Amino acid sequence: MIFHEKMQIVLVGMNHKTAPLAIRERLALSCGDALRAVADVRGIPQVNEALYLSTCNRVEVLAHLKEGTAGIDALRSFILAHGNLSPDELEECLYVYRDDKAARHLFRVAASLDSMVMGEPQILGQVKEAYRQSVRQGASGILINKLLHHAFRVAKRVRTETAIASNAVSVSYAAVELAKKIFGRLEGKTILLVGAGEMSELAARHLLKNGAGKIVVVNRTLENAVRLAEEFQGVPEEFDRLEEQLEEADIVISSTGASGYVVTEAMVRAALRRRKNRFLFLIDIAVPRDIDPAAGEIDNVYLYNIDHLQEIVDGNMKTRMREAEKAERIVEEETLRFTEWLNTLEVVPTIRSLKDRADAIIGGEIEKSLSWIRDLRDADRERVEILVHSVVNKMLHDPLTSLKDASQDDGVLAYVAAVRDLFRLDGAGKSRGHRGKKDEKGTKEEPS
Amino acid sequence: MMEPWLFKAALFGYLLSTGGYLASIVVRRVIVARASTWLLFASFSIHTLFMALRWWTGGHGPVVNVYESLSFLAWAVTGGYLVFQTMTKTRVLGAFVAPLSFLLMTITSAGITGENVVPDILRGYWVPAHVIFTLTGEALLALACLAGAMYLLQDRALRNKKAFRFSRFLPPLRDLDRINHLAVLWGFVAFTAGILAGAVWAGAVWGRPWQWDPKQVFTFLAWMLYVLLVHQRLAIGWKGRKAALLSILALAVLLFSLAGVHAFFTTVHDFS
Repeated sequence: MIFHEKMQIVLVGMNHKTAPLAIRERLALSCGDALRAVADVRGIPQVNEALYLSTCNRVEVLAHLKEGTAGIDALRSFILAHGNLSPDELEECLYVYRDDKAARHLFRVAASLDSMVMGEPQILGQVKEAYRQSVRQGASGILINKLLHHAFRVAKRVRTETAIASNAVSVSYAAVELAKKIFGRLEGKTILLVGAGEMSELAARHLLKNGAGKIVVVNRTLENAVRLAEEFQGVPEEFDRLEEQLEEADIVISSTGASGYVVTEAMVRAALRRRKNRFLFLIDIAVPRDIDPAAGEIDNVYLYNIDHLQEIVDGNMKTRMREAEKAERIVEEETLRFTEWLNTLEVVPTIRSLKDRADAIIGGEIEKSLSWIRDLRDADRERVEILVHSVVNKMLHDPLTSLKDASQDDGVLAYVAAVRDLFRLDGAGKSRGHRGKKDEKGTKEEPS
Repeated sequence: MMEPWLFKAALFGYLLSTGGYLASIVVRRVIVARASTWLLFASFSIHTLFMALRWWTGGHGPVVNVYESLSFLAWAVTGGYLVFQTMTKTRVLGAFVAPLSFLLMTITSAGITGENVVPDILRGYWVPAHVIFTLTGEALLALACLAGAMYLLQDRALRNKKAFRFSRFLPPLRDLDRINHLAVLWGFVAFTAGILAGAVWAGAVWGRPWQWDPKQVFTFLAWMLYVLLVHQRLAIGWKGRKAALLSILALAVLLFSLAGVHAFFTTVHDFS
């Protein structure tokens, strides 16, 4: 039996669940330059391919290593050294996954199942960026390429087949979603910001990012209004012009420190008459409340206070949890599929399936030509068959020998994968379908 | 004979499209809804061909008996929806319209294949003009009512302030309000033209353009409600809930004048 030197996929790292912020930030800081970190990992002798992922919630190293614990120990000490951690701390925080478990973990990360806010979309971009850096450093090879492209596909499946990323899970996004439910498109809509506060400014920022056109800032102290308006490139207004401004605005976000109602029902009613009943969306983030709840009873006025928004967020969070179960099933399925592919990368099964394929082709062709072969004499028929077989065997001899020779090197996987691809040993249709346009685009990024 | 085949093809197309729209709600994929819209458009085109052919071979407008009228109504509702769909990009309405068209066509299929003859009294151009305009108007007013009902649902969901469950399938309030407004406006114009055409015909055949027959009374009542609605919208600036409610009420009266009247009153407007 021919066996190449056994390799393994290993993922070591720590995330927001296993490591406290203090440790994560020490690691993120010292690693700082991700390109250098990739190079350092690549420098470990047992490491064949490497990927380094660092976000505010996780630091992970994915590597294709030689069999044995030496490589894993080297990765551990890489993290130990970079984070300037004590061995105890490391033991507590670090997780090590191998082979299919490493693949599963990567898939979960890319699909945002392992994120602090499950379903948040940024992580996929961060994984893509990490992959890009690994490619740029020449640290990616056949395995990392395959694994990462598979991870992107898993993330896409999860995003399209489950509702994990739909529905806002933050108060300010909930406000944007509600505004869209009312106005459809936010283009050309005017926001009126009454008072100031972190949450109301965040909501205003999200609304602007989603297309809202103009922003007017009203504050008891004009200076503050001017400052805030500058920040949003909006228009500052005197506080006593609030009532007029209700006529122009489409979305009002209020968060003043006032003890009574700043916006009364009568004001809203009058404004609505002047604005010919155009929809008005009132968001009251202040505690105690700024806007008279009675204003929300008026037709074409939609009033939400902080509790309402929070309730929506909580509901959406529950939906995400339910959808996460579906997503986990997708991850399981894809992990299995990846492991299957991994197993085909052994040299022996590849040689066998290459021979099988050749035999199948010969059999098929002889079958097709049966009509004239039947007319031959027995001796000639035999000769033809021998000729065909020997041509094919000669053709296959050199590739198979190279493959066997290569099984002694680290580079065997590339060989095996190339052979499988060239001869379409994973099934013609399947191998095509396996690499979608996305994959091809991804491989273009590799330096030639 | 091409006609029966075309009719069956259109009927089948409406069925497929209905299935597609309902599936799109379950699986939540835009692509399914988009495919359903194309299916609906294809069915609509075949349906158009069917009616044109029938007009050609029959030599009279394809809207004289009850079945033909129902077929035309399905056609007009579908056409109206397709126009609004391209304008507002709200495919959800299709999940209501496609089944409605399919239902109307199924009823139609019971009698459409019968003989294609017309009593003398219904010959001429005024009768098809009357039927085509009133039915087009009614189709649009029905669409307005549908959009109004969806508006009320979405409004309710937003006022209850719960996490969206089914409100996510509904279009934004503004789009629904716009569909409601435009459909009422155009529907009202077509409906009015249809009534006038009918009056001209009645003046020629019965000697009196208007005779306060029960059917005419209820039609007039519905028409007045639409006058009120258009007035409130354009002059007073009504928007949203009130307009939606009134468009639903007006359609109820209109439906009664269209079908209910025959059950409770005898009317001169009976040609069966």
